[in-house]
Amino acid sequence: MSADRSAERSEARSEDRNAERSEARLEPRRVQHALVCMLFDPAYAAMVRGSAKLPELSVRERALLREVDPRALRSDPHRLARAVHALIDEYPVSAAVLGVAKVETFFASEAFRAGIRERKAMALTFGQWLGDRARGVGCLEHAMALLRRPLPAPKGELDCPPRFRGLLVPAGTLAFTSSVRARLGHDPVELLAQRREPWGERAPRKGTEPLLVERREDGSIDLGTASEPLVRLMRFAEGGRRRAEVEAEAIRRGAEPAEAGELIDELIADGLLCAPPTGSS
Amino acid sequence: MPTFLERSAALPHLGLGISTEYGARRSPGALDPRALRREHPGLGGFLEVGVEIERGLDADARAWVADGGPTTYHFLDVNLDEPEDLDPGWLAAVRGTVDELRPAWLCGDAGLWHFGTRDRGQMLLLPPVLVPESVAPMAAGLVALRQATGHEVLPENPPGAFFVGPMHVLELFAAVAEAADTGLLLDCAHLAMFQRSRGLAFDAGFDALPWERVIELHVAGGSERAIEGLPVVDDDHGIEVLPDTWAIFEGALARAGNLRAVVVECERNPLPDVLPLFRRVASAWGVDAR
Repeated sequence: MSADRSAERSEARSEDRNAERSEARLEPRRVQHALVCMLFDPAYAAMVRGSAKLPELSVRERALLREVDPRALRSDPHRLARAVHALIDEYPVSAAVLGVAKVETFFASEAFRAGIRERKAMALTFGQWLGDRARGVGCLEHAMALLRRPLPAPKGELDCPPRFRGLLVPAGTLAFTSSVRARLGHDPVELLAQRREPWGERAPRKGTEPLLVERREDGSIDLGTASEPLVRLMRFAEGGRRRAEVEAEAIRRGAEPAEAGELIDELIADGLLCAPPTGSS
Repeated sequence: MPTFLERSAALPHLGLGISTEYGARRSPGALDPRALRREHPGLGGFLEVGVEIERGLDADARAWVADGGPTTYHFLDVNLDEPEDLDPGWLAAVRGTVDELRPAWLCGDAGLWHFGTRDRGQMLLLPPVLVPESVAPMAAGLVALRQATGHEVLPENPPGAFFVGPMHVLELFAAVAEAADTGLLLDCAHLAMFQRSRGLAFDAGFDALPWERVIELHVAGGSERAIEGLPVVDDDHGIEVLPDTWAIFEGALARAGNLRAVVVECERNPLPDVLPLFRRVASAWGVDAR
């Protein structure tokens, strides 16, 4: 037997052992997470009971879940409605644009399941799932949802202040959002739940509207337009940058090289950029 | 450190009490805990306050404390087996609430109270997965919460329309109690749900439980219904207590020699309606039902 073949066999045996170990693992949290997905999504429950591969579950974990009577998963007929309600509370105009029937498909998405596995806030996972589905309206309401929650500490030499989110959305998004929100009235959930279908008007799709979303000291959210170069610069700084990088970006966005440093200082003084304490990373 | 059984000597005898949670008295005709205590001191010995930190304490809970009434703190928002869930912000708020309530101990269903982060629309309650692998993480959470609050933390067997895993729920909680060296809260109605779901006798698993660790019992009404032919019990805290819940309660009373408290969970019912239930519980336990 050649040394090469022996090494191949040894490697194959090792892989088999790893696979066996992997299939024998049992982490109660993973079982619970899958169970939550099964409660929200009958199709996923059927997948767990079926034979198609599910990488998120080992054989042992899946065997436990297969023993659950599918009827028991329907013991709470209002579970989905409560979760949809929570989403519409934060994304009323996105829900109007999509229609509640489409919103409900989020609960059957891999994004929803990943959000549970990764221990995320459902409203934020929904905002990510929206992507371009509700056009700029989804981006706007996602930014608002982010700002309602605990803010991250600023990083780097310069950062966009965490209480701000700069957005570039299709032109007319802010006016469309405000108009639809006003027409949804005081109880968007009830209105949209009855309607279920998408709103009659389509969300803007063309052009660019630079927006700044701000969480005020009292926790309220302020929406407004801003200059495009400013929004682009704030977005560039998001997550932390070196000052030299931000100055270079300001110059790319039209600042005079000799004045870029002064501009950055002014933005810091105005609270539109922040310089975290040294050592933040 | 003394063992739980040694520490338990310092736990007060609270007697018969009632549970509440934020806004419970807004339900039409709901029980006024202070009225119960005023009119029937033997039945309203203490208030078990269900606490979701995000909501805080309501006026009724605060008024009870202001009257000097004894309490226990029943958590409604922590997944004990997730270390991330005992985050510094939540723990600080728990300590603040403990300072306000001055509870005899903390307790609560040891299950999945929420998926993802603690956030809107993500609250639920699922029982733990009944496998040996669930024991260590849950015990670690209990110890961490006990150390963070300086109070005993009694895990409670949660309700469920179904239970995942081959262990008996009492077997799992026995193992958790031993691993965390803690006491137990046995919810008789929840146990009846488990026994029914498995087709077991009311006292199945009793031999597995270290009864000397059982400090508190819960009794509550439940209603039977069927989902496409599958019989289930809703843990509705009504006044109709199922016969198997009574049988479990009476069996538990006979075994739990270290018992300090019994809660009758009926917070959303009018006082005249719940008095017979309180009196039957008091009579079974042999306490003053006036």
